[in-house]
Amino acid sequence: MTAKLLQGADAITEAALAAGCRFFTGYPMLPFTDLLERMAARLPDVGGICMNAASEIEGANMTLGAAAAGARAGTGSTGQGVALMQETIAEAAQAEIPFVVFTMARGQQDYFQCTRGGGWGDYRTITLAPKDVAEAAEHTQLLFHLADQYRSPTILYGDYLIADTNMSVDVQPRDYGELPDKTWAVDGTLTGTGKSRLLWSWDIGKADRRGLMPDGQWKKVAEKFREIAESEARHETYRADDADVLIVSWGTASPFVDFVVDLLRDDGIRAGSFRPITLWPFPERALEEAARGCSKVLVYEINAGQALEDVRLSIPDRDKIEFIGGVSVDYSGMRQGDLLDVAPLRDRVLRAIQQGAAT
Amino acid sequence: MQREVMFTGVGGQGIQLTAKTLATAAVEEGRHVMLLGHYAGAMRGGQTDASVVLGDQPLRTLPIVQAAWAAIVMHDDHWPSTNERIRPGGVVMVNSSLIDDVDRPDCTIVRVPATARATELGAPMSAGYVLVSAFAAATGIVSIDAMLAAMRQLVPPYRQQHVESNERAIRAGFEQEPIPELAAWEQPATAGGVR
Repeated sequence: MTAKLLQGADAITEAALAAGCRFFTGYPMLPFTDLLERMAARLPDVGGICMNAASEIEGANMTLGAAAAGARAGTGSTGQGVALMQETIAEAAQAEIPFVVFTMARGQQDYFQCTRGGGWGDYRTITLAPKDVAEAAEHTQLLFHLADQYRSPTILYGDYLIADTNMSVDVQPRDYGELPDKTWAVDGTLTGTGKSRLLWSWDIGKADRRGLMPDGQWKKVAEKFREIAESEARHETYRADDADVLIVSWGTASPFVDFVVDLLRDDGIRAGSFRPITLWPFPERALEEAARGCSKVLVYEINAGQALEDVRLSIPDRDKIEFIGGVSVDYSGMRQGDLLDVAPLRDRVLRAIQQGAAT
Repeated sequence: MQREVMFTGVGGQGIQLTAKTLATAAVEEGRHVMLLGHYAGAMRGGQTDASVVLGDQPLRTLPIVQAAWAAIVMHDDHWPSTNERIRPGGVVMVNSSLIDDVDRPDCTIVRVPATARATELGAPMSAGYVLVSAFAAATGIVSIDAMLAAMRQLVPPYRQQHVESNERAIRAGFEQEPIPELAAWEQPATAGGVR
């Protein structure tokens, strides 16, 4: 194996190329900009195309077009730009057009944006939140696979710690198994034959070939997301088996939690951690199981309490749950602030445990 | 073995480039490496820091380094935030051209007049390479060949005129004698790397 020192943006780019991504668009916005630059530099090497769009709306719709034609395609931005892409993501989910959206968020405040979305209809988006650069490379390849497997847009939730950190990484192509041919792709080969295909979120069909119609199409899509929720939830635990205090966190906050778990264990506190790897589908049953023997479940995320809602939906005994995260942004507004560190996290955990003991 | 190195200085001193050079050189020698730079919107004169973590096993570190073995201090304007993370018994490389002293009696302090030496060589902008190379020579954390190769790889095409002066600075830094008690590794890197 040959590891190279890769910035997160490089590692994601190499992983996307290994996954067969050949079309990418975006509009520069930190900390996403580095990813767009790397894609622009590398895609031509493999016969691919990267376009600097005039806006995030244009970029997302070009990606939708490339994906509809059968290409493995991606786009991305930071939360502010992904806000502009919501209509496209929802339309793609309903019309079953697969691509990957890379949100290099400015912190953890876009959890709702990725897991709830701001588009129309009964759609969801598979969202993976890597904890570090190596996992971001792995998730990138998995997301392209899942997008094609389920014919649906998927999301990678990164941030500056993912985009900017350099690590010695060996990006290897991963094999997630066979995928069906894209017999649905609108690739122009059937033009003029009377058999040309149509991708349409309403699926009304053509004059001579009626589609499923909105009722049928939207039931079909909703059923698909129900199946994904059953089968694709992923999670990780650390020292959780005998834990009395379970700390839930996600993405780049989780390594800090695991670090603090070790410190607390050294002090005789039976702490453990739980990390949803898929933000949607949220691993509800696994969390319910992990929390069963715990007296406290603490939720640590650098926002006002977003994954907190999914934790509340997962654990029947809500009185166990306490929020120890919060909004914390650095001077630039583009990175997490001081709350994302070992000392403040440890203080908040200890305070929560002491308060619990006092009441 | 895992070694954490924190760089601190002001914009324009080459903190980001020299940190990346150390990281790249170590990867070439087969180490596991993590690097994270931090700098403000102001380029010249603003705060600029970087952390490099190196190991001969997969790393166990956070991107925000909690405690470090070594500091490379090019300027002391922003030294306090680095200082509080340097472990007792660590090593502090001081650019003595600009900094009188650092108050760390519990650490080994190595004073190198990096800015003056680089200026003598006709390349004041390469002072960072003098200090980081003196650190590498004192500790053996990377070899001079790996450092030179990494620097050549990282200097962009439009800055090639600086390769030669950077090389002089690296060679000047490596005039520093090895300090046995600061040896970074139990095993030196082999040609094929330590993995």
